[in-house]
Amino acid sequence: MARKRTKAGPAGAPVTTVVVMRLYIAGTAPNSVKAIANLHAICGRYLKDGYKLEIIDVCEHPRRALADGVLVTPSLAKVSPAPTSNVIGNLSDTGSVLAALGLPAGAIE
Amino acid sequence: MTPEALPPVRSPSDLQAEAAFMHWVRQIVKGAAELRAFEAGQIDAVMDPATGTAILLPEAQAALQGSSRLLLSALDALPGEVCVVDAAGAVVMTNRAWRAFSAARAGAGLGVHEGANFLSACASVGAPERAHADAVAAGLRDVLAGGRQMFRCDYLCHTPDGDCAFTLSIAQIAQDGAVYAVVTRENVSEHKRAAAVSSHGRADASRVAAVARARTPNRVLAALPAREYELLLSGLEPVKLTYGEVLYEPGEQMRHVYFPSDCLVSLLTVVEGHRALEVGLVGREGMVGSRLALGITASSVRTLVQGTGTAVRMKSTRFLKEFRGSPALQRAVLHFTDALMLQVTQTAACNRFHMVEARLARWLLMTHERLGSGVFRLTHEFLADMLGVRRVGVTSAAGALQRRRLIRYQRGIITILDQQGLEAAACTCYRRVQVRGLKPGCDR
Repeated sequence: MARKRTKAGPAGAPVTTVVVMRLYIAGTAPNSVKAIANLHAICGRYLKDGYKLEIIDVCEHPRRALADGVLVTPSLAKVSPAPTSNVIGNLSDTGSVLAALGLPAGAIE
Repeated sequence: MTPEALPPVRSPSDLQAEAAFMHWVRQIVKGAAELRAFEAGQIDAVMDPATGTAILLPEAQAALQGSSRLLLSALDALPGEVCVVDAAGAVVMTNRAWRAFSAARAGAGLGVHEGANFLSACASVGAPERAHADAVAAGLRDVLAGGRQMFRCDYLCHTPDGDCAFTLSIAQIAQDGAVYAVVTRENVSEHKRAAAVSSHGRADASRVAAVARARTPNRVLAALPAREYELLLSGLEPVKLTYGEVLYEPGEQMRHVYFPSDCLVSLLTVVEGHRALEVGLVGREGMVGSRLALGITASSVRTLVQGTGTAVRMKSTRFLKEFRGSPALQRAVLHFTDALMLQVTQTAACNRFHMVEARLARWLLMTHERLGSGVFRLTHEFLADMLGVRRVGVTSAAGALQRRRLIRYQRGIITILDQQGLEAAACTCYRRVQVRGLKPGCDR
């Protein structure tokens, strides 16, 4: 998916965007609990208020997960901005989460 | 999350079954990232496209079962009785308290066992409890149908140990798309009894205060509203005052204030070289120690009990505290203080200008008013002191009133025979100092 370029503003200029994510979990199963904690830590540190997170419990809403093409849980889906991406697992690897969220590698301290 | 949704092959203790389950997972999970996470043990559930449900992996299931066990233990530890009813009304889960109650009632009434139908149980309840059982059934149906989130009712239940009061709540929960109702029942008999005793106690205290107030002959106290009188009650102490007792000498600190019930207290001014002279007379219409209300703690007069009887007293410190906090008490005390000042000034003038016979008649009427009795014991010496005259003067005046059949005076006992005649014989001072509503005819 090609990224659109806007005429206004030089390329690479900071643009205020909100990262929209969905996290699919399975109740209070261990990896799901870890995934929620890890994601909250990452968002609080790197995204501050610039994100929206929806947590979906697949035990309560299995059809929603299937409709979204989610087969395993926990699973994080970045919905916007494009491109969309997924991270599977308990999100303990901060680097892969940041990469999936489209944050520059330099953001990792 | 529900055990029914899990394939029976998934027992972690059964290696063959576990291998079969993993094989099933690998058929579904094909992406590289998913497989990596799966190998790393970071997956909790896999979606089964065939059934449209989430299948928990053994570790996640074990963990959830552990937390479910914890929840069940917590549920069992609750003192209230809890059961979960499914959409058809079947009891699918109960806690220990509920099971104990069901066992005690052998499943009768609303003591529904696990597996039984709550709605059917409501329908089979006998006459005395039928009304509330119908209400509970209607509430449960409403909650299960989504008509309301919560239903609550209080009802009485007849048990072998006597009547018990219960509060029953029904709340809706949804799980895996199915609706359940959590029924909690709490035995509130003890609370109700405690509340009843407490309110009964309050009512009793209030009634006692009202009765005590109605019976208090003291006009200052009787003038107070019931609530303010109740506040004073704890500081009031009944005392018997006997003839000749001096409550305070002039200049002495007043440690108590007295509210006479049926005794009589004279306020005497002491002039050096002379006998004490009565300047005021206090009975049930007033109080002794009202000077405190003016901020003065020492007595200006000698207060002498001249008619044995009862009174209630209060410590001066408490009185001052109550006086500051109670506008009604302030009004009553200041009203009396004003009347007492009038009496004192009138007495001073009376002693100077009026005849002994008229003064004696006034004094007898005032005493009659304050004692609430027309018969009292007095000696000529005492009367001479009260009136500031010689004894012979009293004998002469009393003889004159007796001859007019206004009083009888025998062996030191005075009986008022003709109230109106005595009023006519008294000087005009009597009418000026007469206490409204305290006329002898208006006795208790």
